[in-house]
Amino acid sequence: MTITVRPSALKRRRQQLRDMPAATGRGLDDRLQLASPGLRTLLNKVFPDHWSFLLGEIALWSFVMLLLTGTFLALFFDPSMEEVTYNGSYTALSGVEMSRAYESTLTLSFDVRGGLLIRQMHHWSALLFLAAIVVHFLRIFFTGAYRKPREINYLIGVAMFWLAFLLGFTGYTLPDDALSGSGLRIAHAIILSIPVLGTWTASALFDGDFPGTAIMPRVFILHVFLLPLALLGLITAHLLIMFKQMHTQWPGAGRSNRNVVGERFFPRYISKQTSFLLIVFGVIAALGGLFQINPVWLFGPYKAAVVSVATQPDWYVLFLEGSTRLFPSWEIRFPLFGEHFTIPTLFWPGVVLPGILTTLVVAYPFYEARKLKDKQIHNLLQRPRDVPVRTGLGAMGVTFWLVLTLSGANDVIASTFDISLNATTWAGRIGAVVLPPLAYWVTHRVCLGLQQHDRQVLSHGVETGILRRRPDGGFMEVHQPLGPTDPHGHGELEYTGAPVPKKMNRLGALAPATRGFLAPVERPSTPPTEPPTPNGYEGTEVAGTDQSR
Amino acid sequence: MTSQTPSRRPRSRARRRLGSSVRLLAALALAGFLYTAFAPGLAAQDQPLSPTAAEGEELYQRNCISCHGRNADGVEDRGPSLVGVGEAAVEFQVSTGRMPMTRQEAQAQAKPPKWQGEELERNVAALSAYIQELGGGPQMPAGTDLAESAEGAVARGGELYRINCSSCHAYSGGGGALSSGASAPSLAEATDRQIYAAMLSGPQNMPVFGDNQLTPEEKAEVIAFIQHLQEDGDPGGVFNLGRFGPTTEGLAIFLVGIVAVVFATLWIAGKS
Amino acid sequence: MSADTASGPGTTGTETGQRTADELVAEPAELDVYDPRLTRFDLVREGARRKGIEIVHYEPRFPPGSRADRRMERVVASLFLLAGAAGMGFVVAYIWWPWEYADGATATSKFYTPVLGVTLAISMLAIGAGITTWAKKLLPHEVSVEHRHDQPSSDTDRKIMGATLGNMLDETGVTRRPLLRRALLLGLAPIGLVAAAPLVGGLLKDPHTNRTGEPGFNASPQDYTGWNPALNDEQPVRLTFENGSPIRPADVSVGGQVTVFPGIDHGASNEYADSPTLLIHLREEFAAELRQNLYPMNQDSMAGNFVAYSKICTHAGCPPSLFEQQTNRLLCPCHQSQFLITDNARPIFGPATRSLAMLPIAVDNEGYFVATSDYQVPVGPSFWER
Repeated sequence: MTITVRPSALKRRRQQLRDMPAATGRGLDDRLQLASPGLRTLLNKVFPDHWSFLLGEIALWSFVMLLLTGTFLALFFDPSMEEVTYNGSYTALSGVEMSRAYESTLTLSFDVRGGLLIRQMHHWSALLFLAAIVVHFLRIFFTGAYRKPREINYLIGVAMFWLAFLLGFTGYTLPDDALSGSGLRIAHAIILSIPVLGTWTASALFDGDFPGTAIMPRVFILHVFLLPLALLGLITAHLLIMFKQMHTQWPGAGRSNRNVVGERFFPRYISKQTSFLLIVFGVIAALGGLFQINPVWLFGPYKAAVVSVATQPDWYVLFLEGSTRLFPSWEIRFPLFGEHFTIPTLFWPGVVLPGILTTLVVAYPFYEARKLKDKQIHNLLQRPRDVPVRTGLGAMGVTFWLVLTLSGANDVIASTFDISLNATTWAGRIGAVVLPPLAYWVTHRVCLGLQQHDRQVLSHGVETGILRRRPDGGFMEVHQPLGPTDPHGHGELEYTGAPVPKKMNRLGALAPATRGFLAPVERPSTPPTEPPTPNGYEGTEVAGTDQSR
Repeated sequence: MTSQTPSRRPRSRARRRLGSSVRLLAALALAGFLYTAFAPGLAAQDQPLSPTAAEGEELYQRNCISCHGRNADGVEDRGPSLVGVGEAAVEFQVSTGRMPMTRQEAQAQAKPPKWQGEELERNVAALSAYIQELGGGPQMPAGTDLAESAEGAVARGGELYRINCSSCHAYSGGGGALSSGASAPSLAEATDRQIYAAMLSGPQNMPVFGDNQLTPEEKAEVIAFIQHLQEDGDPGGVFNLGRFGPTTEGLAIFLVGIVAVVFATLWIAGKS
Repeated sequence: MSADTASGPGTTGTETGQRTADELVAEPAELDVYDPRLTRFDLVREGARRKGIEIVHYEPRFPPGSRADRRMERVVASLFLLAGAAGMGFVVAYIWWPWEYADGATATSKFYTPVLGVTLAISMLAIGAGITTWAKKLLPHEVSVEHRHDQPSSDTDRKIMGATLGNMLDETGVTRRPLLRRALLLGLAPIGLVAAAPLVGGLLKDPHTNRTGEPGFNASPQDYTGWNPALNDEQPVRLTFENGSPIRPADVSVGGQVTVFPGIDHGASNEYADSPTLLIHLREEFAAELRQNLYPMNQDSMAGNFVAYSKICTHAGCPPSLFEQQTNRLLCPCHQSQFLITDNARPIFGPATRSLAMLPIAVDNEGYFVATSDYQVPVGPSFWER
C-alpha cells in the first residue's frame, strides 16, 4: 500500500462503495432470483392490525423463551433417579437423601449463577404460554375465526393445546420434588383407571410399579425432545397456513371478505412484532425476578409418604384436578366370565371428561357449519353479540371450566376465606351443573340487548345530549343520524355487524387530536364553533370512524 | 359442636347415642352436680398449692371456671375436663388466645390473647402451674428459644416436618383446610413454645406427638426447621405469592402476566 | 330470535353487499417503471399494486422535523439508552452482586434474582417500547389493502390436477394389478410392525407379577407390599420409623399417629411406594367403637387400641394423612376424600369409593409392632382387573 493515494483511485473506490448494495443485489439475484415478485409479495404482505390478533403471538414468543431458557436448564439438569445425599449451598436440606433429579434442580437454582432466575423465567413462560393459548382460543372461538377455510388451523390449535399441556405437566414433574411426585402419582392412578389397558399401560410407562427409576429419564426425553419437536412442527404448520390463508379481519369501512386491510409486513408490522417479542420477554423476566414460583426447596424430595395440604397442579391442569375432586364416588364393579372387573371412579373425571371436552371443541366448527348449511369462505370476523347462540355456548363452556378450575383449588379457597371444605365441594358440584346453563341464558340475553342497542342507534342516530323543547312543552333529545335518513327520519344504514359509534366524538364532531396511549402528544383541537350539519356524513366514512376496533 | 371442642372425654361421642329422655336425666344430674360443686366446703384439696399455682387458681376461677368447672373437671356441653392435660395444653391454648373462648364454635379460634406481654407470660405460668399441680400431664421445658442449633438440625427437622406436619400445615407452614370447617393454623407467627406445646398436647384435632415418638431433641429440630421457614426470606423474588404454590401462581399469571401483555397489545395495535 | 337468524353467516351486509375499498380503487394501467419522473415510493407502490396490494394511505405521522417529530425521536433514543443502562446494570449485578445462597431473610444474596430479573426486564421492555414508539410515531402511517387469493382454483386447474394425480396412480398400475396391491400391503404390514415392535416390546412389562416374580394375588399390580413376610425370610415384618428403628406401643401417645414403614432394606424408600402405613393410637372409647365396627376380614388386625391403615389413598394414591384426632377422620389433601377411622377407614366424603386397607398388626415377643401378614386387599387406586 502506498502512503499517498492518488485522487483518481480514491474516487474509484468511493464509487465502488456506492455501487456495492446494487452489485450485491445483482449478484444475489443472478443466483437466487431474489427480485422475482415472490419475495416482493412477502415483503408487502398485508396484516390487519388489532390488539386481539396479537394474543397468539404471546404464546409464540413465550414458546421462544421456553426454548431459550429450557436449553440453559438442560445443561445442568440430570433426570436420574439415583439416590444421592445433598451437600449444596441450601443448608436447610444438607445431608438429606434425594434423587439426582431433585439434587440437580437445587444445584441449578442455588449453585449456578443466575440459574434460579432462568428456572423461574422458564416456569413463568410455561404458565404464560398456556394462558396465552387459552386466551387466543377464546378469541378465535368467540369471533368465529375458526370457520371455513380455517378449520385445519383450529384443529392444529387444539392439538397444540394438549401438547403444551403435556409439556407443562412433564416439566412440573421433572424436579422430582414432593409436589411434583404427588402429581405423578395421581397421573399414574389415572392411567391405571383406564379399563382393560390401564395396568398394562402404567406398567409399560413406569417400567413396573410406581415410581421405579425409569420414569424420570422417560419424562425428560418427552419434555426436551419429543413433545417440543411435535409442537415446533405444529407451530410451523399453524403459521404457514395462517400466512397462506391470510389473517381474518373485523368488518369495517373498505373491508370485505375478499381483501385484507392493514399494514405491510415490512417495515411497520415486523417492527411491532419485534417489539412485542421483547415486551413479552421483558414481562417474563420481571415475573421471573420478582415473583417466586415453584419453590421446590421448600417441598423437599418426593417420598411416597409425604404430602401437604394445598397439593395442586399448575393452573392449566386445575380443571381436571377440580373434576376429580367433585366427581361422586361412583365405582362400577361387575362380574364377567367368572371374574370381577372394575371401572374406577377416577376414569370418568380423569379420562372421559377431557375426552368429551376435546371432542366438543373439535366438533363445534363442523356442527355449526352443518347446522347453518354454511359452505362459504369467511374472512370477516363476527362480533360475539352477533351470534348469541355461539357466544352463549362459549360462555357455558367457560363457566363450566371455571367452576372446575376453582374447585381444583377449593382447599386453598376454604382455608383462605374460612369456609368449610365440604361446603366448597358441594358448591362446586352444584355449580358445575347449574351455572353453565345460567351463563348461557344470561349471555344470550346480553347479546340480544347489545344488538338491539346497535340497531336503535343505526335507526335513530347517536344521542347528542342536546335537549330541545317541543312546542307542546315536552322535552326531547336531539339524535344525530349516522347516515342518510328516510322521510320519517330513520337511518338507512344496514346492520352489518360492524361497530356502531355511540358517542358524538366518535363521529368526528370534534376535530381529532393526535393522542398518545396515556397522555396527549398534542393538545386536542378546539371544537368548531358551528355544529356540523347532519347530512355531512357519508356511509363509508361513518363506519370508518371506528376502524380501530 | 362439642365433638370438635377440646375434649378429653368420651362424652361427645357417647352423647350422640343418648335419647332425649336420657339427656333430660343428664341435665338433672348436672344440676345436682353443679350444686355440689358450688356448695362451700365440699371441694377438698389433697395438698396445698404452690404460691404460683394459687395465683393460677385465682385466675382460673375468674376466667375458666364457667366452662371447665370447679376443680377443672369439665362441664357437660361447655368444656372438657382439664385434669391431666398438663401445662403444655394450657400454654398453647392461652398463649395463642384460643382460651378463654368467646363463644362455642366448631374449633377454638386463635385470636389476640386475653393478656399481653409480661402479664400474659406470668398468667400463663400461673395457670400452667395450677393445672399441672391439679392433675399432672405433659410438661414444658423452660426458655423461649427451644430450637436446636446444632449443625444440620434444620435439615433433620425438615425431614421430620415433612413426614409428620406438612400434611396439615403445608410444606411452607401456611396451614390449610381440614374436613367440615376445621383447619390447621398457619405457623408463620407461632412461637417456639407454642409449637412445642402443640406437639406435646395435641390441641383440638391435632394428633399428639409424645416424647417417645418425637424425642425432645427431635421436637427442637422441628422447631429449628419452622424457624427457618419463618425467617428465611424467599430467594426467588420479592413476592412469594403466599407460598401457596400453583394456585396463586395461576392467579398471578392472569392478573399480572396476561394483563401486562394484553396492555402491551392494546398499545402496539392501537391507532394512537 | 330474529337476531339469531339474521346473524347467520353470509347474511352480514359487508361480506356480500357493500362497496369495498378494492372495488373503489380504479384499476390503472401499469406504470412504466423506467419513467424518470417516478419517485422511489412510486416504484414501491407500483410493485405492490402489481401483486394485488394497494397502498391506499401513506403519510408520515408527524411532519418530518416538526416539534412532535423531534420529541418522539428523543423519546425513542432515551428508551434505547435506558435499555443499554439496564443491560449494563444486569451485567454488573451478575458479576458483583453477592449471589451465593445464605440463610436468613436479610441476606443480600436474596435479592440477586430480583435484581437480575428487574434489570433484564427493564432492558427488554425499554427496547420493546422504543421500537414500538419508533414504528408507531416515526414510521409513516399507512393503510394497505391486499386482495385475497383464496378462491378455489379454477375448474380448468382442478381438472388438470385431477388428471395428473389420476395418471400418477395409473402409471404405478396399482389399480389394475390387484396382486401387486395385495402383495405390497402384505409386504409392508410387517415392516410397520417392525417399527412398532421394539417400542412396544421394550416397554411392555407384565403388571401381574409380584416382587418375587410369581403370579400375584388377585392379579393385582400392587400385590406384594413391603409388609409381605416373603420379603423378610417369612418372618413378620416390623413396623419402623422412617429412620428404621422399630416401634413399641409406648412410642405413640394416645391420640397420636405415626407414619410407619416396613422394617426391611429400603423399606422407607420409594422402592416400596405402596407400603407407607399410618399407625394410630386410638382413645379407649374410639377403639371400642372401631372394634364393634370391624369388618370380618379385619377382626384380628388391631393390636390393643392401635390400628394401622394404608397411607395410600384408594382414590388416586396420595397419602391421606391429615389425621383429625377428635373427629377421627383421615383427610386426603389431593382430592379431599375423608375416611372414618372408627369404621374401617370407610370413605364418608369425597371421591374415594373404597376403605383404606387395614394392616394386621400385633406386638411380638420383644415388644415391637409387627405386621402379622401383608395387606389383605390391594392397596392404592382401583384398576380394571382388581
